[in-house]
Amino acid sequence: MATPPPARPAMSHSSAFLLPSSAPRTGSADAYAVVVLNQRLPRFAPLLWAPQVRVCADGGANRVFDGMPELLPEQDADDVRLRYKPDVIKGDMDSVRPEVKEYYSNLGTKIVDESHDQDTTDLHKCVAFIAQNSLVSDVSNLCILVLGALGGRFDHEMGNINVLHLFPNSRIVLLSDDCLIFLLPRTHTHNIHIERSIEGPHCGLIPIGAPSTSTTTTGLRWNLDKTCMSYGGLISTSNVVDEDQVTVTSDSDLIWTISLRH
Amino acid sequence: MPGILSKSLTYHIQELKMLWRTIRSMDVMVHSSSFLLPKIHQPAKTPANNYTLVVLNQHLPRFMPRLWAHAKLRICADGGANRIFYEMPQMTNDQDCETTRNRYIPEIIEGDMDSIRPEVKRFYSNQGSTISDKSHNQETTDLHKCISSIRHRTPSHEKSDLCVLVTGALGGRFDHEAANINVLYVFSDMRIIFLSDDCLIQLLPKTHQHEINIESSVEGPHCGLFPIGAPSTSTTTTGLKWNLSEAKMRFGSMISTSNIVDSEKVTVQSDADLLWTISLRNLT
Repeated sequence: MATPPPARPAMSHSSAFLLPSSAPRTGSADAYAVVVLNQRLPRFAPLLWAPQVRVCADGGANRVFDGMPELLPEQDADDVRLRYKPDVIKGDMDSVRPEVKEYYSNLGTKIVDESHDQDTTDLHKCVAFIAQNSLVSDVSNLCILVLGALGGRFDHEMGNINVLHLFPNSRIVLLSDDCLIFLLPRTHTHNIHIERSIEGPHCGLIPIGAPSTSTTTTGLRWNLDKTCMSYGGLISTSNVVDEDQVTVTSDSDLIWTISLRH
Repeated sequence: MPGILSKSLTYHIQELKMLWRTIRSMDVMVHSSSFLLPKIHQPAKTPANNYTLVVLNQHLPRFMPRLWAHAKLRICADGGANRIFYEMPQMTNDQDCETTRNRYIPEIIEGDMDSIRPEVKRFYSNQGSTISDKSHNQETTDLHKCISSIRHRTPSHEKSDLCVLVTGALGGRFDHEAANINVLYVFSDMRIIFLSDDCLIQLLPKTHQHEINIESSVEGPHCGLFPIGAPSTSTTTTGLKWNLSEAKMRFGSMISTSNIVDSEKVTVQSDADLLWTISLRNLT
């Protein structure tokens, strides 16, 4: 009698980090880091500033400096900048404005200056930096939230998505005004808890980089049942979450995406 | 023994001949962004200047008036019509909105019509736009429907000259962007180019060798190549700052991002379909 293949470990996901801080949190990570890349901040950026470490990649510091007071116009700009300051500004410093760098440096932000390294993207450098410098006490249960990784120059977006594939054992979530995305590595079966008040109903599963010969889901309006997915063929887009829990099992790494409510 | 030897030699010669035929028969596909040049600078009769414009439902790029003026056919996909109606007046020097709206009338509005505003649909319908209501078809995206229609209404002898420029395909909801990119793969035998304020992207199918003429006044220098559908075991380029030489590329390993065009012509040959992207300079 053939022995069944060993069951894959389960991995849970939740967007509880997007809930207002007073809401009960059933998040799947204990520690969060925020990385801000050089694009306009999403409207909910102030909500994400409570985590343990906040890193701006170079020009991301300009975005925080300009953007946070714009998002909180009823408050005093300097108060806002003090409350929402980055812990680290990292990169080759060719985009951050000198006055912005000086402003945050005076407030205690660490400036990590490095020469331009063509082999890795800004996001890659920040993720590696957070992991290597033990800025967070428990890296194994860390979730890195990234702002400014989607949209803009397409090669940047692709490079940022590749970072998800390069660090499949890390939880990295890319966020925009419209949606969030993260990797579902094939090594696990996935339980995605849906926070209906802030996300959905539109969702999708995208096999970026390689086809999937077998993906199975539950909890979606159009579930997959050992379905093949590939570019040039079927990919799951404009799907709808129908239940509070979505499960996904696949033979290939998939990108999960869900829309964010406004 | 001699019989076996000669059979083996014949077999090898046959193999070499087949390989040579394959290399020789791989057609070259030439690409150019001359459609982005001001009209006076455009070379005559190149395929890319005979294009259909498809407008999807996102903020119009800054250079939309130029794209609109040079198109042979303009199609708004559903809510793309809202964008032309409300955003074009802000992009022109016209005295009033009405003047602009009367100048920018799409020939066709196509899609499932769940985003277009009633007043917009009414206005363009009264101005003579064909309203192609495909709401009965919920299986495909609006872009897919538009591309399918374009292909369907193009006579066979003109199909190889077809070029479709699309605005609004990138950014916004990620699953929409992914579905739009999939349209490039599904219709891989057509020239379809996505344009945004920041860049353009198009598919380089593995069936061809590619020559990309760089219009450095309007595009570059940042570029990239991505094996989105499946990995590449061998990609070779010329004309880039960091060229690839029979390189392997895949997500989870190396992909070519933040590359730089170093020449007026870039060539790409690959065993996988690749997405090419190049940044656009500040055009209005």
